[in-house]
Amino acid sequence: MQPSSVIHSTIVIERSYPKPPERVFTALADPAKKRRWFAEGENQEVDEFEMDFRVGGIERLRYRLKGDVPVKGIVITSEARYQDIVSNQRVVAASTTSLGDQRISASLVTIELLPTENGTDLILTHQSAFFEGADGPQRREAGLHKLLDRLAIELAH
Amino acid sequence: MSRGKITADRVFHALGDPTRRTIVERITEGPVSVSALAIPLNITLTAVVQHLQVLEDCGLVQTEKIGRVRTCRLKTTGFSVLEQWIRDRRSTWERRLDRLGSLLAEPDEDQ
Repeated sequence: MQPSSVIHSTIVIERSYPKPPERVFTALADPAKKRRWFAEGENQEVDEFEMDFRVGGIERLRYRLKGDVPVKGIVITSEARYQDIVSNQRVVAASTTSLGDQRISASLVTIELLPTENGTDLILTHQSAFFEGADGPQRREAGLHKLLDRLAIELAH
Repeated sequence: MSRGKITADRVFHALGDPTRRTIVERITEGPVSVSALAIPLNITLTAVVQHLQVLEDCGLVQTEKIGRVRTCRLKTTGFSVLEQWIRDRRSTWERRLDRLGSLLAEPDEDQ
């Protein structure tokens, strides 16, 4: 049997923010705010970011990485379609990511907001299928995460 | 005193050794003389000096001779290199959620 050309992965990341869910939701729904945390970063040059925040609406991000990275200068595009939106509770989007003109992954990203005494717990579940040749930052990072975990165990001795 | 550029490689190599990690942990509590370091480690003074040299070369430790006593203390340079390396390796979404946290922490967000 040939090795599978698709690799699946699920990543769950949790964060607590000292602000109510309404405030966090605004940062997910307002294009100017979302651009700042989602699209812009120290090492990336944003070429395009637009979002139509409603079920069926499209969000498109096009950027390039700067600095000392393996995929420096290559255009990275992610295009998502909002699948479900419940105000102050959740946003679900299905997206694809491309490196240059090669599609490297398809993902379902679910963001849930849970009210707490001190603010909001955010749970992000990222379910992806990585395609062949997806030698992109995600794959590299996954490998490095394993290394780091091992390092943490090593350092804990 | 470090020879050449401090890279994450060198810091990881330095901290990959359990004795050197023990030294770093010990110094974290405060400056210690080299001879005092050697006693609980149960190794020779020469071995301690060699370990300290490695740690000093990658910016984790600084030693200083005052009178006849050589004292070592923690230095932050090496740790900054590690911090940067770890930051660079965080996944795209982790970085995004960090930035979301910064945005939510801004005072004008409260209006």
